[in-house]
This record gives sequence, structure tokens and C-alpha cells, in this order.
Amino acid sequence: MTLHKQNGQVTPAIAGISYVFPEGSRTVAELAGDSQLTSSAATMESFGFGNVHVAVAESPYELALSAASKLLSDTGVDRESIGLLIYGGTPGSMSFAPADEAEESASGLCTMSRFKYPATRLQYDLDLPNAWPFAVDQLACTTLLGAARIARSLCLTEGIERALCVSSEFFPANAGREAIFNCTSDAACAVLIERNGERNRLVSATNVTKGYYWDVDELRDEIVASYFPTARHVLLRTIADAGWAPADVDWIIPHNVSARSWEILSSLIRLPRARVFSENIVRHGHTLAGDNFINYRDALDGGCIQPGHRVVLFSYGFGAHWTGVAVEA
Amino acid sequence: MRAPRKLFITGATGLVGEGVLRQMLRNDPGLEAFALVRNELPWRQVATRLGSLASRVVPVRGDVTQSGMGLEPLVRQRVERETSIVVHAAADTSFSRPLDRARSVNTLGTYHVAEVASDCRQLDRFVYVSTAFVAGRATGTVLELDNGCQTGWVNAYEQSKYEAESTMRASSLPWTIVRPSTIVCRGAAGDIPQINAVHRALRIYHRGLAAMIPGDRDNPLDVITSSYVIEAIASLALDERALRRTAHLCSGRSALTLGELVDTAYEVWAESPEWRKRGVERAIITDPATYSLFERSVMETGDVRLRAVLLSLSHFIPQLALPKLFDTTLAERLLDSPPPAVSSYWKPMLRALIAGSWGHTVEKAAA
Repeated sequence: MTLHKQNGQVTPAIAGISYVFPEGSRTVAELAGDSQLTSSAATMESFGFGNVHVAVAESPYELALSAASKLLSDTGVDRESIGLLIYGGTPGSMSFAPADEAEESASGLCTMSRFKYPATRLQYDLDLPNAWPFAVDQLACTTLLGAARIARSLCLTEGIERALCVSSEFFPANAGREAIFNCTSDAACAVLIERNGERNRLVSATNVTKGYYWDVDELRDEIVASYFPTARHVLLRTIADAGWAPADVDWIIPHNVSARSWEILSSLIRLPRARVFSENIVRHGHTLAGDNFINYRDALDGGCIQPGHRVVLFSYGFGAHWTGVAVEA
Repeated sequence: MRAPRKLFITGATGLVGEGVLRQMLRNDPGLEAFALVRNELPWRQVATRLGSLASRVVPVRGDVTQSGMGLEPLVRQRVERETSIVVHAAADTSFSRPLDRARSVNTLGTYHVAEVASDCRQLDRFVYVSTAFVAGRATGTVLELDNGCQTGWVNAYEQSKYEAESTMRASSLPWTIVRPSTIVCRGAAGDIPQINAVHRALRIYHRGLAAMIPGDRDNPLDVITSSYVIEAIASLALDERALRRTAHLCSGRSALTLGELVDTAYEVWAESPEWRKRGVERAIITDPATYSLFERSVMETGDVRLRAVLLSLSHFIPQLALPKLFDTTLAERLLDSPPPAVSSYWKPMLRALIAGSWGHTVEKAAA
């Protein structure tokens, strides 16, 4: 499905991004030494990974609350103007347990604890009385892009002034840190979407979900093989739906999967590798849903993205979703 | 008075060898043949398929990898005395063999056949069934002669066949070298007599197990039918104009491009609602450097099945990125007809491949 560029006056935009990482961090070599990778450290390093953030004492909820609080504080928006709160990430009661108790807390999903929702609690803790809270699930690493897209649509169709999208995902402490050749990291990210903005406007969004690949264990090889052709297809469609040509794109803001895969993908869409903002792959690893907006914020802060730049955010969610969002900075 | 023609054929249990044997026996009711047989069982199956023609064939036990083909002395004497035409079609056609093994059948094997042939007192012709892909990594127009070996080869099969051609050219035998392209089906109906690397690769892409194809959409990719190759060999074996000449049995100028072949494959696969529902994305035709990077990444990450898939493709897929136009001027002149247009059989072949459960039917029949 494709969301087309709006030609009218109102264009929803990204009004702010904030993120937090847990205190702990590990190098790829340390992870390999503790058998938390299936590939060797050398292989992961050759794929561009160096360091990942690892939650131990923190819970996903604490990270989410911290990122969202920081965003609201930084932007100074009227909290009553936020009509929508979309949470994506670790489900239900599991969100409240620190990483080193994650496996035990998972059993809570089969009890009344499952109704302890992080989205609802965020609405209370952040003091957002008018926000309609809900969660998006099953979109894996495209969760936050999906949430931003929903927020954009509801801003346009329901006149919601502001929407807050928050994701917080983690791997239990001591769990394996390699997923489909990528080093995973823990983080929370919050994004504020406004109904109308002059900067960082959400121009188009494209998603392709291939339901055939729902059985990720059985079809793992087919999924890996389908990644590049489908990613290329979605990237080119996102660019075309924004009314741009591939050569017009100033930046690709990636999800932090292997740098090697971005080398391949940028070549497949004939875009110079230098236009892929990949500095964060070595610094942070793959933070699942947070990557694109963490990278967008850093690219803005670092001066890479300039006003008017044409930017494409792209992510792949295992299970199997390919999502692209075009942003005019 | 000269004795009737007698054929000595190797590789008679293979697709081309069996076809040539049948065609030549049909074309000349007076022709008799020796068929070199390594294994009894496959030969019995061929004999059954030949029907009454088999009565004019004497199977002789031997093996091209052995000196003198391992023929019994009395048998060898008879072969040397009676043979007037040799068609050497035996080959190890696997693309994945190490060089020493490919050489033992294809290069040394040819030497051993030539060794016996040189003692055949009535020999009029030695037809060596080579391959168009002795051209290896060369690009551009490939002529019907020895084009050298400066560019190297994609696999040991190509190299060993080139070396066998060199053995032929260096000999004093009355040779004719025929170079078939990749055989994909029997003829216009598209039925597939033998599954090969092309069919296996198509299956991999149909299943969505490979993401990319190295090459350029506009590059020609040569394939051919077995019926054309077989009829051509049967004809050239008796054509005096073909003496000491090399002929490309290829589609040549009527070859489709890589893009056309791939597009047609996905078009045919999309005829199945079940396949369409899976949403298998079309593989990307990309430059060799990007393909190599992808290949290297998969090889480094330890996914056993994907590695096996890429390994199986690696023995021939680089050839797709080496555009060649096989010149067929001589072959067309000698055969007095152009090769069949690939567009006439590619789509039927794709449909036959699916109808035959990707070779299951063919392999079951062969078993």
C-alpha cells in the first residue's frame, strides 16, 4: 500500500525526535567472547558493527518514558495538544521488567498482567490527558515508521494536532545479539508528528508486506533472498511516490543493518554509497525500530541534512515488511 | 570395393550421443555402429528406446578415461578395421568438477578416443562434440575457429573441453569440431529430455531463493534445442565441407537477451495464481561487482542452504555477465538453414519445466 504526497496546504511533519540508550554497552568482540553472536566478531566487524547498547537494569518502559519525556521537554509542546500516543515495542507486562528479569516477566503475558499496558501508562506518566493511546505490533523493525505513517494519516483525516510515537525494544540480558547477520542493540526512541509543519515533512510512505513469509523459521532463506529485490522495489516506489527521481535523493536514512548490505542496496538503486547515512551502524548497532529516527536526528544535528533535502527512510521488519518514508527536510 | 560406413560413437547413453546415433541410423539404413558402453544398464535403456535400430549397433565395453578406451584387444582390432566415422560425444558435463576430474574425462578421454581413431584405417571423419563455451570468459563475437585461451574460463568443464579441442586440432585426424550451445529442450514443443544447470537455476529463482542475476539485460544469452544439435551433427559428420572445420551449433543472432529470457520466465511463472500469491520478487539483473559482494556476504555468514544455492550457481552464472555472440555463419551455410528462434521454444520449455515438476518426471523416467 502506498500513501501519496498531499498536494494541499496541510502536510504533517516530524516536529521532534528524542532517543535514549541504556547505560550498558558491549563491543562486538565482547559479545562474541560471551557466545552472544553466531558469526565471528571479525565477520560482524566486516559488516560494519562495532558497539551495541545493552540494557541490564533498565526496563523497556523506563527507556520509553525517558525518551518521550526528553522529547516533550525539548520541544516544549502543550501536552494537551497531543491527541494520539502510539507505542510500539516490547508487549504488555514484559515492558515493565528490567532486562535481566525479562524471561521471567514473559510469563505475565498469560495472566491478568497482560492488561498492564505500557501505552496507557505512558499516557498517565507523561500527562497526556487528550491522547488516544494504542500500540502497534507485529511490524518488527518497521514499527516506528508504521506508527509515524498512522499518525500522519490520523492527523490528516481526524484533525489531530500532534501525535507522539514511541518505541522501545530490547533483548533480554545475556540473550543472543545477532539477528539475520546483524548486531542488535537496545534503545528507545520518541517521535513527535505535527499536523502541519514547514520542516521535515512526511511526503510519502510505502509498505510492502509479504504474508507468504510469515513462517520465518521455515522460510528464512527465502526471506533473506527476497530482501534485496523487495527493498529495491520499495525504495524506488517511495521515491517515485514522492515525485522524485532516484538522483534527487540527498540522503537515505537506513535501518542499521550491515553496512555491507547497504553497499549492495545502494548499488542496486544506483545511488552513491556516500548518500547513505551509515555512521551509526558502528556506534550503535541495530536498535530494531528506533534506527531510522535516531539516525535522522543525528544527521540533522550533525548538519548532514539541510533544509529542503530530500530524504528517504527505509527499514525492513522481519516477518516480513519493507517500509519506506520520504521526508522533505 | 569399400565397405559400408561404420560409426563408432562414444557417449551414446547421453542426450546428444543417443540422439546422434538414432539420427544417423535412421538417415542411412546401411549404417552400422559400435557404441562405447561403460555401464550396461543405461545402454540397455537406450537400446530399448532405439527399438529395431538397436539391431545395427554393437555395444563395446570400454571407458574413455582408460588408455585405448580400455577396449579388449580383439574388439579394438575390429573397431580399427571397420570404423569409418567417429562421433565422440562422451563428456563429463558437470560444471562443478575440479579440473583434474574434468580433464580425466573430457581432455584425456578425447586423447584416448583419438588414439584409437588414429589406427582406424578407413576413417573418414572424427566428429568431436565440444561446447560453445570453450570461449570461456571471452566477450564479443566468438568465431568458428580456435579463439585462443587468453581470457580464461568460468569453470573446469569449459577449460577441459577447450583442451580437448586443442588435442583434436593438433592431430592428423580428419576432424570436425561441433560446438553446441546450452541445450534447454528438445524442440518447439519445449519438452525437456534432460535436466541441466539452466533448469536447476530457473527452479532456484522460481522458489525465490536467489536475489540477483549478474549481467546486463541487453546481453544475448545463447541456448539451443537438442533436435537442432543432433540433426546438425548427423549431417556434418558426413559433409566433406566440414572437414577440419569448427561449427557453432548455437542460436547466434536469434538468441534472446538475458532480460528477455528472465522477463519471459517470470511471465510464465505468474500464470500460476498460487505462485503469484507468494509475491516472490523478481530477481534483479545487476552488475557482477554487486553480485559478487552479495555472494561473498552470504558465503561469510554461514547460512548453509543459501550458501549451497549460491555455490551451485557460481559454476556457471558468471557466464551471464560475459556477453557473447556466437558466430554461426559456417554452420548455417553447411546446414543450409538457420537455427530455430529461441522465442519459439523458450516459453514452451518454461511451461514444460513446471508441468514436469522441475525435472522430477524426466529423472523418474531416466531411473
